[in-house]
Amino acid sequence: MTTQTLDAFQVIADPSRRQMMQLLSKDSMTINALAENFDMSRPAVSKHIRIMYNAGFISIKDIGRERYCTLKQDGFNELQDFINYFDKFWENKLKKLENLLNNKAKAK
Amino acid sequence: MRKEIKKTWQFSQSPQEVWEYLTRPELLEQWLMKTNFQPIVGYKFYFIGNCDDSGKAAAQCEVLEIKPYTQLSYSWQANSVYDSMPFNSKVVWTLIPKENGTELQLVHTGFTGLDDVIAHNDGWTRIGNNIAAFFNTVKQ
Repeated sequence: MTTQTLDAFQVIADPSRRQMMQLLSKDSMTINALAENFDMSRPAVSKHIRIMYNAGFISIKDIGRERYCTLKQDGFNELQDFINYFDKFWENKLKKLENLLNNKAKAK
Repeated sequence: MRKEIKKTWQFSQSPQEVWEYLTRPELLEQWLMKTNFQPIVGYKFYFIGNCDDSGKAAAQCEVLEIKPYTQLSYSWQANSVYDSMPFNSKVVWTLIPKENGTELQLVHTGFTGLDDVIAHNDGWTRIGNNIAAFFNTVKQ
């Protein structure tokens, strides 16, 4: 199976995947049970699952004949890192603005 | 889990002066990024550079609201790491006149798709632990 690796934002950009994660946030589910909630082919569901798995949003465990999907923290951590990145970005920019305006005030 | 960014800064300048620095491209370039911003609702503009060195737009934006010297908001569509699927967010600047200057508030929200996923995030650690316990039981 070719594996597709997307970053956290690409993973959650897709409405079907967001819906899958919402379902999984309530309970761990088999791939079959998950697929029943979607009007798409089983391979299409599997592809989404593979994408979420690769990005660290879910883990997959085989129990008997069933494959269980469970939500996982890693993907969410990456999203958090991204927000933290922007937090720092604005902090730096606003400091720059502050310096700029302070210098301007002094020059008067 | 945090899903928005809020910053509050105090300036000794008047809201009018601070507003200039939020709306004039030649001033924005001095502290934020190079831009072709114009204070017109619906105007599409971009910020270039600083986020990365590729020379590509760091953010594609559209002016959403302008209340002169009081509030300015625009959409902020930035590229994510692999840059094929950008995310949408919103930046809101609010200026509050103070006795000795201006309080400037920045709110950056609405990272697309985050809200509905993260809304469920608080509960899932607990659920995840339950599931883990279940798996352990099944294995034994």
